[in-house]
Amino acid sequence: MAAPTPHGKTCSFAEITAIPAIRERWEKVRRYFFLRESTYDMTNRCNIRCEGCYYFTGAKQFAEEHPDESVWRSLMQAERERGITFAVLAGAEPSLVPQLCRICAEIIPCGAIATNGLKALPRDIDYRIHISVWGNDRTSSEIRKADNLLVRQMANYRDDPRAVFVYTFTPHNIDEAKEVTALLAANGQQITFNMFSAPIGYTGPLRHSPASLARTAEMMTELLHDHPRTVLFSAYNIVAHTHALGLHDLFSCPYPRRNPSTAIGLGRSFRQYRTDLQWDRAAACCVPDTDCRDCRHYAAGSAVVTARMFRHATDPETFAAWLDYVDTYLAVWMHGYTKGPNLCDHPVVPPASH
Amino acid sequence: MSADINQTITRIAEIIIDELKLEDVSPATFDPDLDLVDEVGIDSMDLATIALVIRDEFGIRIDEDDYPKLTTIRIIAEYVADKRSGGE
Repeated sequence: MAAPTPHGKTCSFAEITAIPAIRERWEKVRRYFFLRESTYDMTNRCNIRCEGCYYFTGAKQFAEEHPDESVWRSLMQAERERGITFAVLAGAEPSLVPQLCRICAEIIPCGAIATNGLKALPRDIDYRIHISVWGNDRTSSEIRKADNLLVRQMANYRDDPRAVFVYTFTPHNIDEAKEVTALLAANGQQITFNMFSAPIGYTGPLRHSPASLARTAEMMTELLHDHPRTVLFSAYNIVAHTHALGLHDLFSCPYPRRNPSTAIGLGRSFRQYRTDLQWDRAAACCVPDTDCRDCRHYAAGSAVVTARMFRHATDPETFAAWLDYVDTYLAVWMHGYTKGPNLCDHPVVPPASH
Repeated sequence: MSADINQTITRIAEIIIDELKLEDVSPATFDPDLDLVDEVGIDSMDLATIALVIRDEFGIRIDEDDYPKLTTIRIIAEYVADKRSGGE
């Protein structure tokens, strides 16, 4: 990957948004600024057990389930009333409780579900569906103890516009992304990229090194170039997620776990509910129990980078890179949102806060 | 000073109304002490947009960490005045 370019001459926001391509994309993405997310663990069960799983780290895995549908309905109504407009349904495996997912989607119409894809979610649950992929089927058998996983995932979500496959890069599956992306492209399905981000205390082999970050950036760049209709990503996504610094050090994470302010934004509204429907401000972020210094998670970036609009509004190139990131985030998370062509096709240095 | 602040308050009200396409309110009727988050319903991305326009309009530097403080039009106007008088 080419070295990121330094920032150009500082311009006013009016000058930047006077450029037609930027103006058009800015007007497109700003219509979604109403989105306010919270996340919900749906069940403490999973049908596979993967090395490095975020759910089965820390205390949340021991929370009891709340299978009562009326309780879930009350919770989601209360969430809607306090202003939540986007529900992220996660841990451990939401497809095991489709009736609860359906209640969430009925009450909060915008949302996404993180699943391993082994069990298809009913089509009437109109959320974006993120299907986790950790390599080819040989690697999945080793790490996830599930045979023929990708084949089964693709079959379960064939011709399903809700589905996007989320490929998590570890230091050991970088080259396999080529094979997986080609398979998904041939099958007419979409993929976006995630980075393995170590859970707190993790000492296993999946933690990235500077060398694996660089190799991942090269592979992402190649795949984005070779499969532009299949890969939902941008040059700036690559910079943000493969930088030597994690997302918090680059952009200052706004989730409550790292942000003491309750005045506005995620610090004010975000909650991460465990299966017992309790939440803890000190632990609340999109992927709890991740080591913040190593966090390059795609879900984190979707909020962390997106929230830093102000610092990116310095010159057309930097703002275009940020717009590409937001356009990608919306395409990955909002069912029905179509990503446009990237405006900035080369890496840009992430701007500092001042 | 008071006249300056009142002019700044009016201009900031215009910017907020324009950027957020607010209806049923004018710069003259916009209560400068309304809480923009609790009572007007703006969120962080709205505030970032407003902050960019104010930055350009008044030629001041705004720190991202100052967003949580900018809760009313009057507070924003005083922040602008402070920055313009060299208080940063």
